[in-house]
Amino acid sequence: MRVLIIEDERVMAAEMEAFLRKVYQCDLAYTARQGLEKIEENAYDFILLDLGLPDKDGLHLLQEAKKNCPDAACIILTARGQLEDRIRGLDLGADDYLAKPFSLLELQSRMQAISRRKYGLKDAVIPLADFQVDLQKRIVYFEAEEIELSRKEFDLLSYLLLHKNRPLTRMQLSEHIWGNYAGDDYDSNYIDVHIKNIRKKLSAFASVEWLQTIRNVGYKVKI
Amino acid sequence: MKLFTKLTLFITLSKLAIVLLFVSLLPFLVDRIAYQYNDYYLREQKKKVLDVIRRNGIQEYLQGEETYGSYTMLKEEYISLEPAGPTVQRDTIATSRRLVEGDTLTYRVLSHTFDYQQKRYILEVGKKTATISQYNKPLQRVALSVLIGLIILTVLADLIYTRLLLRPLSTIIKTKLINPRFPFRDPLPPVKTSTTDFRYLDDMLIGLMGKIKAAFEKEREFTANASHELMTPVGILQNKMENLLIDEELDEVQEKKIMGMMKTLNRLKKIVHSLLLISRIENDQFPKTDTFSLQALVEEVMEELEHRLQEKQLRFAMEVPADVMLSGFNHDLVFQLVYNLLNNAIRYNRPEGEIFVSWQPHQLMIRDTGTGIPPEELDTIFNRFKKVERTENEGYGLGLSIAATIAQYHDIRIAVSSEVGTGTTFTLIWPYALKAEQSDR
Repeated sequence: MRVLIIEDERVMAAEMEAFLRKVYQCDLAYTARQGLEKIEENAYDFILLDLGLPDKDGLHLLQEAKKNCPDAACIILTARGQLEDRIRGLDLGADDYLAKPFSLLELQSRMQAISRRKYGLKDAVIPLADFQVDLQKRIVYFEAEEIELSRKEFDLLSYLLLHKNRPLTRMQLSEHIWGNYAGDDYDSNYIDVHIKNIRKKLSAFASVEWLQTIRNVGYKVKI
Repeated sequence: MKLFTKLTLFITLSKLAIVLLFVSLLPFLVDRIAYQYNDYYLREQKKKVLDVIRRNGIQEYLQGEETYGSYTMLKEEYISLEPAGPTVQRDTIATSRRLVEGDTLTYRVLSHTFDYQQKRYILEVGKKTATISQYNKPLQRVALSVLIGLIILTVLADLIYTRLLLRPLSTIIKTKLINPRFPFRDPLPPVKTSTTDFRYLDDMLIGLMGKIKAAFEKEREFTANASHELMTPVGILQNKMENLLIDEELDEVQEKKIMGMMKTLNRLKKIVHSLLLISRIENDQFPKTDTFSLQALVEEVMEELEHRLQEKQLRFAMEVPADVMLSGFNHDLVFQLVYNLLNNAIRYNRPEGEIFVSWQPHQLMIRDTGTGIPPEELDTIFNRFKKVERTENEGYGLGLSIAATIAQYHDIRIAVSSEVGTGTTFTLIWPYALKAEQSDR
């Protein structure tokens, strides 16, 4: 899949590319003009669009992109934090919206969710050792048996699965699950409670050794 | 009291006072004038008599008799001329009784003594008092009705003119003072008036509103820019660290160090988030147009906090009727407000403690069985960066200050009562109740 990253902060663009290039083929554009050129030349599956571009308003670019690449999924990235930006962006046909600073893991998870929505159910059921995870129906199966997980437990497991073989910190996990409630952050420890529950529920059926604890750091799904 | 009401009252009452004063003085005045005129008339009569005597001699009257007396037909006036003793000296006008043909009548009498050919005479000219004041009553009536007519006319003219004069002022008050839609997004037209005072007032208000609007726009721009400038580097750092963590060659020590950095960065992120949120609320950037069920909102919040409740093994009870609907609020902000309060109720609770959420008309109460807040700290808990004893899981002191900002934004009052060791109750008093309370007073 081909991704166009339109982002004027070069360092940021480079980090996004470094992270995404393992899965996607990435092109970079640092200005709206470059972005438009790229959109005209190539067909993209994803356009990651920063709204604060130096030469043109990002929302305007979004309209252009929708004309040239109607199939591309657009995710708006912005640090301006304006509520109207989000509403207008989604009105103009953006598929999702991420406020900076965002986690690269979160970005990838959103992209996958859009893929599932847009391109059918191909990878909706993912094998996880002896289990199957149906991301569409949000159910974990052992053979034909449904295993009941709470909403948060399922979110956690599918996030770990999506980023399998990578250590995810408690903070990254809690940010995904509880989002960014401004105020106080002491959620990280509660991740442990959920992981414990997941292990308990799944180990009744088969081994859960693939769900590894990385001491003092977080968790990892190793398969 | 409104200026127009005051002026109306003053105009009417002052005119009324004038009427009363005039009514009470009128009989006295008319009487006085009548008597004065009468006295003048008597003196004229006296002069005429003396003139006749000087010209024609006293016998013109006496005709050889000792005395002279003459009455008009209805005994309304009389003249008398009598000799008087040489010691009598009189020149007065007085009211006195006279016996005329068996009737006792009251007269206004001028008495005058004069000498004629070495003999002293006394002249009396009298007029019946009833005759003097016979026109008083009709005069009074006419004067009074003319006065009342004039007063009514001037009161009406005054009121109409005052009303016209004050109309621009009431327009200014209505459009610019009572109902200004802060932060004055649409400029209001200047009020039409030829009164320079109102012109000045209106110009000043329009100027001030423009300034406030400009300041607001500036702040809005500032929060957007500050947000961008602060969040972009934080984002870059976060993404760099995330990429570092993926590196397979990382050993455990390095991993831990990166983790520590991420944790610190996260703290920075949350603080910036919170401050920007506060300044966005203060900048009126959230529409207050949502309608939602309070019970559903508390349930949503509790869903988010369920895990914390379980970990501390707290008992949670809620008594909020399902039909309590809030409208004209921002759902996300009220959610955040309730979230922050419930979050605190959990955090500062004792293990196996209780949280009780209840509703009385227009009041949402959140009671916990936590450590409580010492009385001397109650005043400052809503201050930004208020430091409390830090434990490992401590926040950054912005939760309550965000709650206070949201509450203020929605005209919700927060009341706190607390007892150290027993627990704390936060009460959210919804603006409807506040208004009712105020009008009760």
